[in-house]
Amino acid sequence: MTFALVIVPLSLLLLGFPIFLVLLTSVTVALVFYMHVPLAVLHQNLFGSVNAYALLAVPFFIFAGELMSRGSVAQRIVDLVRTSVGPIRGSLGVTTVGTSAIFGAISGISAAAVATIGKVMLPAMRKEGYPEAFAAGLITAVGAIDIIIPPSIPMIVYGATAEVSVPRLYAAGIVPGLLIALILAIYVMWCANLRGFGKGHHFELKAFLIAAGRGIWALGAPVIILGGIYGGIFSPTEAAAVACVYAALVTRFVFRELGWRDFVEAACSTAIFTSQILIIVSCAGVFAWLLTVNQIPAAMAGWIEALHVSWWMLLLIINVLLLAVGCFLDPLSAILLLTPLLIPMVKAVGVDPVHFGIIMTVNLAIGLFHPPFGINIFVAQSVLGLELGVIYRGIIPFVILYLIALALITYVPDISLYGMSLLFGGG
Amino acid sequence: MKEKSIIGLERAFEWLMRLIEVIIGYALMFAVGLNFANVVDRYVIGHSILGADEVEVFIMLGMTFLGAAVVAWRKKHLRMDVLAKLFPMPVQIFLRAAEMVLFASLTGVVAVESWSYTLQMFRLGVTSNTAGLAMWIPHGTVMVGFSLMALAVIVRGLLSLRGKKGADLPENDHDMGLKP
Repeated sequence: MTFALVIVPLSLLLLGFPIFLVLLTSVTVALVFYMHVPLAVLHQNLFGSVNAYALLAVPFFIFAGELMSRGSVAQRIVDLVRTSVGPIRGSLGVTTVGTSAIFGAISGISAAAVATIGKVMLPAMRKEGYPEAFAAGLITAVGAIDIIIPPSIPMIVYGATAEVSVPRLYAAGIVPGLLIALILAIYVMWCANLRGFGKGHHFELKAFLIAAGRGIWALGAPVIILGGIYGGIFSPTEAAAVACVYAALVTRFVFRELGWRDFVEAACSTAIFTSQILIIVSCAGVFAWLLTVNQIPAAMAGWIEALHVSWWMLLLIINVLLLAVGCFLDPLSAILLLTPLLIPMVKAVGVDPVHFGIIMTVNLAIGLFHPPFGINIFVAQSVLGLELGVIYRGIIPFVILYLIALALITYVPDISLYGMSLLFGGG
Repeated sequence: MKEKSIIGLERAFEWLMRLIEVIIGYALMFAVGLNFANVVDRYVIGHSILGADEVEVFIMLGMTFLGAAVVAWRKKHLRMDVLAKLFPMPVQIFLRAAEMVLFASLTGVVAVESWSYTLQMFRLGVTSNTAGLAMWIPHGTVMVGFSLMALAVIVRGLLSLRGKKGADLPENDHDMGLKP
């Protein structure tokens, strides 16, 4: 069985085979050669894994993000944040961080944030004398906040895989996301003061009010999503659908930027992107079923208990593993592959699965921009025309800052669990 | 096979895939509208649309499996190919050929299994709990999706045998905004 469940998937994964095919091959080998079970279970599990109402939030949130990012939303948020933090030295850098945090509360698609915000902020930072490597590193790194701040697609997938409530995960993700944004903003201001770039501007009430008027509609999406979920008005899936309708109305009738054809194109690309993700979800469901019927997660949990490993030591080992995996694999695939194996182990040492969901998301978020293969590095390179060497040079301090944040989030569970207990009144 | 028929086959597939893409795009908008209408109904009229959740989930199922055929045709399936790209070109071509064979065989096997399952659903006349929809329809999307995936890869294979540039190697999936 080790051959089917470890050697086959690992080899095919490293050889660059599509992830869904890796999982499908592995389960077929296990079913045919080891378990002698009729292959009808393949169909039942492929169908059953996606037959879940909670997963509907995935295409709905992506669609809302697609609609909001096709117009001038990024520019409007940039203007609003910039006019509010104007007097601070390094205000453009802080604006980049703030805009990314707000953008994350709208779309939750990291690469799109790097491209959209980068296009607006890079020329402005260059104009104000920000060092190229610093600006490149900042823009490439800030996008990772987007998958930590709710609504987050990886958290929905983690919630479905680990059978954890998505609203609880979202509540737990708010403080860590803001903590990372705060750490980045402080670093930007410190660098700006130390190296003497990014002089602040006077606060102008009129400019602020104009920017607020232009940006207020863009801020409505996160208010609807988070307010709706935690106000007990709708479920995360319904919040996502309402956000889609809101995004369509705002971009069509308020901003007057998108037409019917744009809606259809956004829906088509969302459907295809959703399919890319959910076909892996369906195959990972069969893989997880195989692991469960062979009692592998239980055996691993028992093994961890027998080793008497402390919770902090286990989390340290898992963090190293996830950081390494995150360098090569996209967050959703990594979550689908590893969650069924890791959840029983962390539960065995008493780690809250909601807290672990945040740890996993932050780890994989770092993987999005971690050299040498973080996807956001290539997005910054291709969309913003930045040199790879400049990005690598600029990204290192930000990787270190994220690692500090990861250590805090890992070893101070209250950072994640406080938001959850505040909104849900305890455990 | 003649060059003309190969080109015709490629065009037919392009057209079919675009048609599927547009259909599932519209289906997604319908699902969003249905979900929104359900929320409005609940707060304004005080009742829910019966079976709306089921219909939305079935749309998502169709989107997943039919969309996977489009993804296969466009060579956009997510993969971890950073290491494989470092291999010499002959090794890369061999790996992609092996992938095509494995892809077509396995998706073909799933399609056959799904066909029997869907047929069973059809014969038994199984319907969904609340919407009363015939269950062979959503189950059938697995069969159709995997059949089309197998076909898409076979057609790609034929194209690469004909020496059509780029037919056998996966596309770079560093598309902007495509990865969360």
